[in-house]
Amino acid sequence: MSAAVELERISLSLGAFALRDISFALDSGDIFVILGPSGAGKSVLLETIAGFYPPKSGTIKIGGRDVTSAPPEARRIGFMFQDYALFPHLTVAQNVQFARPNGDPAHSRDLLARLGLAALANRHPANLSGGEKQRVALTRALAMNPALFLFDEPLSALDAPTRDALRAELKSLLRQLGLPAIYVTHDQAEALVLADKMAILRDGELLQVGTPAEIFNAPASEFVANFVGIETVLKGETLAVSDGDARVALGSCEIHAAASRATRRVLVCIRPEDVALSRAPGAGSGARNRFDARVVEVAALAHLFKITLDCGFPLVAYITKQTYLELGIAPGARLTASVEAADVHLIPQE
Amino acid sequence: MVAKALAPSRSLLLAFWLAGGVLLAFLLLPLLQMAASQTPARLARVAAMADVRAAIVLSLEAAFVTTLLAGLLGVPLAYLLARTTFPGKSIVEAVVDLPLAIPHTVVGIALLFVFGRTGGIGAAVNTLFGYQFWGTLGGVIIAMLFVSITYTVNAARVGFDAVDPRLEKVARTLGAGPWRVFTRVTVPLAWHGVLTGLTLTFARSISEFGAVIILTYYPMTAPVKIYDLFLQFGLDDSSAMAVLFLAVALALFILFRYLAYGRRAAPGGRV
Repeated sequence: MSAAVELERISLSLGAFALRDISFALDSGDIFVILGPSGAGKSVLLETIAGFYPPKSGTIKIGGRDVTSAPPEARRIGFMFQDYALFPHLTVAQNVQFARPNGDPAHSRDLLARLGLAALANRHPANLSGGEKQRVALTRALAMNPALFLFDEPLSALDAPTRDALRAELKSLLRQLGLPAIYVTHDQAEALVLADKMAILRDGELLQVGTPAEIFNAPASEFVANFVGIETVLKGETLAVSDGDARVALGSCEIHAAASRATRRVLVCIRPEDVALSRAPGAGSGARNRFDARVVEVAALAHLFKITLDCGFPLVAYITKQTYLELGIAPGARLTASVEAADVHLIPQE
Repeated sequence: MVAKALAPSRSLLLAFWLAGGVLLAFLLLPLLQMAASQTPARLARVAAMADVRAAIVLSLEAAFVTTLLAGLLGVPLAYLLARTTFPGKSIVEAVVDLPLAIPHTVVGIALLFVFGRTGGIGAAVNTLFGYQFWGTLGGVIIAMLFVSITYTVNAARVGFDAVDPRLEKVARTLGAGPWRVFTRVTVPLAWHGVLTGLTLTFARSISEFGAVIILTYYPMTAPVKIYDLFLQFGLDDSSAMAVLFLAVALALFILFRYLAYGRRAAPGGRV
C-alpha cells in the first residue's frame, strides 16, 4: 500500500534560502510534526507542499496522486495558518460555503453542526474565540474534502493555557478525522504532545526523522540534541564496549552508556530530567553512573529547578521543588548525581 | 472598564484647535460667501439656461466614465504594485505619481501631441474609426483620466496592501482559482481602498479645468462653462453656476463616501 503523503527529494531555491532533498512518507492518520528554529524553512516547506512554490526537483504525492505540478486549488489541502486566516468579510457559514461553492448550503450547516458550531453560523470571525476559530477553520477545510492537513504554527500567538486547551482539542479532532497532518512549530512541547512522527528541520534540511521518543532520547547530531532540550552534550572518548555497555572517558571521569557499538570519539548526551540527585553517596537508585557533584548554579524554571553541577565535567539536572527543598540545595552544596546507563545516549563522531 | 490613555495636554489641544480652526475657516469661507451672495432669482435664471445644464450633465457623464476606466485600468496596476516585485517598480510608482506634479495646462498640451489632430493615436483613430478626441466627450475623458488616475492606483494599492496574503493563500487551498480568489476575497477586503480611490478620481475628474480646456474647449464641461460665463458676463452668472455645480458635485461626493464608509462615518470618514 502506498503512503498517504510522500515527499521524495524535494529541493527548492528561494533567493538565498534553499530546501534540500526533503523526503518523508506519512500514513493515513499520522500527525507529523516538523520542529525547527525560526528561519529553518518550515513555512516554505509547507507552502511548497501546498503548491505555492514550485520545487526545483523531487516529487510530492498526496493520496497516491502526483501533485508536484498541480496548482494549490487542485491539491485538496486543508491549510491552517496562524490565527487560522478565516475570511473576515464572511460569516462562519459563508466561510465554510466558500470551500464548496456549488454545494448545497444545507451540507455546510450539517458540517458546522457536527463540530458544534451551528449556533455560530451567522457570526463573523471577529466575534469568535480562539477555539471557535480553530473549529471553523477545520470545518471550512473539511468542506473541501481534504486529503491532508497542514498546520503552520497555528497556536503560537496564543497564551499558554489557551494554547494547551486548543492543542488537546486539535489532537482529538485529528484523531477522529483520521487524516494525515503535517504540523510545523518551533515549540518542542507541541511536538511531544501532538506527534506520531516528527522531524527536525534546520536551514532547509531535515536532520532527523523518527518518533518523538527516538528524537528526544536519541538525537543523531549535536544540533538536534541541543534543540530538543538535552542540556548536557559533552565530547567523550570510548574506552571499551562489551555486552551492550560502553565505557566512555569524560575528562578525568568515566561514564557508562547502554550501547552495543560506539565510535572512538563520541558526544555524550544526558537529558536533564534523567539525572537524579541525592545527599548520601550510597543512597538512591542502583544506577551504574554515580558522581560526586558540587552545585554551581540554581535557577527556577516554570515548573522545575535547573541545577548546574560540577562532577569533574559539567552536568545539568532538572528536579522538582520538593526534591530541591528536601536536599537543601544551594550553590556550593555537595551531592551525589546518578544517571542510568540506559539514559546516556552516545552520538558517534566520524 | 477600559482606562483612558493619558490625554494630550489641554494647552496643546487648544493651540492645535486654533490652528485647525483657521484652516477650516480658510477652506469654507470663500465657498460659503459665494453661496450666500446668490439670489434665488439669479440661481433660477442660470439653472434654466440649457447650455449650463448640458455642461453640468457632461461633466458628470465624463467623470463617471473616467472613474470606470480608472477602475478597469488602475485597480490591476494597484494590485501588481501591492503584491509583486519587479525590476523598475520604483520607476512605475514614480510614473503613477507623475500627473500630480505636472501643471494641468502642460498635461493638455502633451495630450494634444498624442491625441490631437496630428498626434499618433489621434490621427490613427480618426483615420480608422472616424472618431476624434477633439470636440468630443472622448477628449474630455482622456484629459480627466490623466490627471485623476493616480488617486485610484494609490488608494487601491493601500487597500490591497492591507489584505493579509495568507487569506488569499488559504482561499487557493480551499479550491478557488486565482480569479475567484481575486474577486471573492481580495477585492471585497480591499474594497474601502478601491472605493476611496474611485471617489477621489471622480472628484478630481469633475473639477478638472486646465487639461480639458486645452485638449477640447468644446463640448464645455461645467468648469469650462463657468470660465466662459465669467469672461462673457462676469461674476454674477459665473458664480451662480458655480454654486449650482458645487451643490451637485458635493451631493455626489457625500453619497460616495456614504457608500464607502456607511452611515457612521459619512460624510467625513477616514480616507
